[in-house]
Amino acid sequence: MSSQRYRLALVAAVAFMMLGSAAAARAQQAPQAPMPNMPGMDMRGGIRGTVRGANKAPVADTTVIAVNAVNGARFEAMTDAQGNYSFGALPVGGYNVTVVSDGLTAFRRQGVQVTADQNVTLDITLDAASAQQAADAERQELLQQVAELKQRVTDLESTTVLSEPETRVRRVEVFVDENGQEHDEQVPGSKPAITYRRERVYRRQTISEKIEEALAGAEEHNVKIGVDAAITTQFAHKTKGDDPALVNHHAYALASADLFFTAGIAQNTVFFADIVALSGSPPDAEIPSLTLLNGYTARLVRQNELNLREVWLRTELFGQRLALTTGRLDLTNYFDANALSNDESTQFLSDALVNNQMLGLSSNGTGVAAEFDPKNGFRFKFGLQQSNTDATNLTESLFTLSEVGYTFTPFSLPEGSYRLWFRTDNTTDLIAKAVGISVDQKLTNAVGLFARYGTQGFEADGRDHYWSAGVGFQHGYIFNPDDTWGIGYAETKFFGSDREKLVEGYYNLLLTERLRLTFNVTHALEEPAGGAKFGYLLPGIRLQASF
Amino acid sequence: MLHRARRLIFGSLLAAGVAAAAASATVDAQGVLVSDPTKVVMIVNRDSNDIGFMDITTKKMIKNVFLGNNVNPHMVMMSPDGRYVVTGGTRANKAYIIDTKTLQLVKVIPTDIAPEHLAFSPDSRWYYQGNPDGDSISVIDMQSLSKIKTIPGFVEPLNVTFLPDGSKAYVGNYGAHWVGVIDVRRHELLKKIQVGSVPAVAKLDPAKYLGEIKGINIAAPSADGRYLYAADSDLAIVGVIDTREDKVIKTIRVGKDPWRIYMSHDGKYGVTANNGDETISIIDTKSNSVAATLEAGPNMTGINFAGGKAYVISSTSGFVYVYDMSSLKPAGRIRIGTNIQLETATTDTQDRKIYLAESTNHEVVIIDSKDNSIERVKNVGLFPWGTHIMDSKDNYCH
Repeated sequence: MSSQRYRLALVAAVAFMMLGSAAAARAQQAPQAPMPNMPGMDMRGGIRGTVRGANKAPVADTTVIAVNAVNGARFEAMTDAQGNYSFGALPVGGYNVTVVSDGLTAFRRQGVQVTADQNVTLDITLDAASAQQAADAERQELLQQVAELKQRVTDLESTTVLSEPETRVRRVEVFVDENGQEHDEQVPGSKPAITYRRERVYRRQTISEKIEEALAGAEEHNVKIGVDAAITTQFAHKTKGDDPALVNHHAYALASADLFFTAGIAQNTVFFADIVALSGSPPDAEIPSLTLLNGYTARLVRQNELNLREVWLRTELFGQRLALTTGRLDLTNYFDANALSNDESTQFLSDALVNNQMLGLSSNGTGVAAEFDPKNGFRFKFGLQQSNTDATNLTESLFTLSEVGYTFTPFSLPEGSYRLWFRTDNTTDLIAKAVGISVDQKLTNAVGLFARYGTQGFEADGRDHYWSAGVGFQHGYIFNPDDTWGIGYAETKFFGSDREKLVEGYYNLLLTERLRLTFNVTHALEEPAGGAKFGYLLPGIRLQASF
Repeated sequence: MLHRARRLIFGSLLAAGVAAAAASATVDAQGVLVSDPTKVVMIVNRDSNDIGFMDITTKKMIKNVFLGNNVNPHMVMMSPDGRYVVTGGTRANKAYIIDTKTLQLVKVIPTDIAPEHLAFSPDSRWYYQGNPDGDSISVIDMQSLSKIKTIPGFVEPLNVTFLPDGSKAYVGNYGAHWVGVIDVRRHELLKKIQVGSVPAVAKLDPAKYLGEIKGINIAAPSADGRYLYAADSDLAIVGVIDTREDKVIKTIRVGKDPWRIYMSHDGKYGVTANNGDETISIIDTKSNSVAATLEAGPNMTGINFAGGKAYVISSTSGFVYVYDMSSLKPAGRIRIGTNIQLETATTDTQDRKIYLAESTNHEVVIIDSKDNSIERVKNVGLFPWGTHIMDSKDNYCH
């Protein structure tokens, strides 16, 4: 009975082993379908084992390489002192395992199958037979690599590069201890200090990149010169008024050339100078309008001469939130900066649609302007300057401007800017204070409205009033993409009952980035105190180059 | 005899059992450096020629995977399945494949000239590598980890955008004014969608229009993927492309020289960084019109969204400008440093923290949108150029 039991057990064991070996044989003969890298299925397995030499001694510090047979993904592992190695997390699939010793492939085994969550044991012996087998396979790989190298040389020939390392100086924070020794990290008793250090970088650049960088670097240290030149031609046609002293059908031309000089002279500090020359005659030379019909001549008192319009230094403090500008200034450049009617060179030409007439600045002078921009929509400005060129001191010729501005997007409209300003001026005995508002509000990306109001008070008499309003277009209803146009109306009324009603329309055509042509037409109706009304229609053309 | 046989049988069975037990041992975690691919920040380091991997929780560097000398990696991206991390080596003309779990460089694949920006198909199968100097797209099969095709016919192709269903890919051509449409099934350039026409006065200005062309950086998708928004730098417009018909349905004029458009995470707005006039234009995607144009800073290289705000990176000023996206108002700015160069950033998947590469000091600056505080992670590699987080909605490059 017992012998039968043993016989049955023996048969069962042999059958089990035969089935097992048959399955193993099938597994070896049938080509294994490589398991693809299915998206979302990152299944891993492992290979581990021991590397020994021909003398069976463990081989330490040797690189074992496993290369995925399907996609060529290459993984590396190092042997430890006992010759053990391990690939703990290989994507499942077949692998070619190689061992490189002294620069030569000493072992190669192809088709080591890694399955999910399983470790395969592969013990490696580095002997002459394994080295020969590996060398044959490696020869084929070398031929392939030569072909790739040829392609690489072709690629390199297609673009010339500079490969030598370059140096760069960096501003770094270090820590200096009591003995004056410098540390990269803080040590007890050390204090932080700023120093400069050279470092070597290995970026590979093409020659053109290198040249571009050098030119940009040189330009940063140069004084930049800008030019804004314009010629404005206007023709005056009298539409109202019988006074024979009033001119009619006269043409006017005024040429203006601004030269700007800008230089960075310190951290966040800029020097700026603007020299302007005017030549010719504007309509204001003959037409006694209440405001300037050509805004180019505003605050420039000498015709046909060079004028030093502005020279200033600007520095930015407190994280560049506060900007201080000091020197010879035109404060109207810093205050009441209405987006749609504040530039005689590209928008309206009449000064009544360039500046709020109640700002009251008669000439540029020495002063200082401060702008605080917390970058939250608000802006705060204050400035003072001398506005009387004949004054012998600042105390008796002090012109100040203060402004609060706010930019936001009201009622689901695009952005709008709203400003409230206040002015004092003690240049004359009469004029004391003025206040004004300025609004520019986009209705759409293409259409915007603007409006201004200002009033100035006199100690002894009544008040002057000024207001203007209009519409500006950009990005829409235009011939060319960067063209702009607008229509504006301005009314100025002085306390002595002098009044002016002025309307202007313009179309600014962008010919090139540097060249603009503007067509404009203005009508001014003047009501002088104690005199007869008169009016003029002034069509004009302005050609402006800026670069 | 029987005793010997018994010993033999039991010995054989025991040996087989031990071998089987050894073979079925569960794989341990040895060699796994990244167990959760969503928890790492990838950093492209141009001068040290590596990809740095930072643990998003501990803010410690896990490993810097060296790619090779003079590689100049440009943009890094993880495959949507989290399995691979890839980058294009601009000066090596190669694509580099890193295994995410083990952080091993497992494959280097030749591409065309100067590979920079790249994208994965949604199913992770295809890796499209743009080659701006080669005017082509290299198609890399992520199953075989090999380049299967080079699609020619582009003009300085930068970014690639796949449709959500993976059927088509759209390529921004910075050297032209059209968006290329690729049939992903055949990997062929199907159409060229002209975003805008050059104005008639262009011939008066050859210096601008013939000197250097600055066209389209990217066609960025709307939240549902139906529409694409493509900003053209020279033309200062954003073309809205309907992907069903592959045609421009509206052209929106924005500020000067828009570098590209960035889409807000809620899909309500697209924001262009206009380097020509240092503004941003905020486009309402419902009305496809500009909702606001706000002042920004010089040399903008990227816009991230977090905590209901937009963060605009002004590369050379050292500032990040902040805008409230509900009121469309400026909301301050963050001073990162002085005399530094800011590069690009990615946002975490919680839409809270921004990881900004700062190349001068070789650091990543983490901005917390909750209070706009910053934290610096130093020595991430030399000249960090960009960052990337898996599944982030702000994964972009210069």
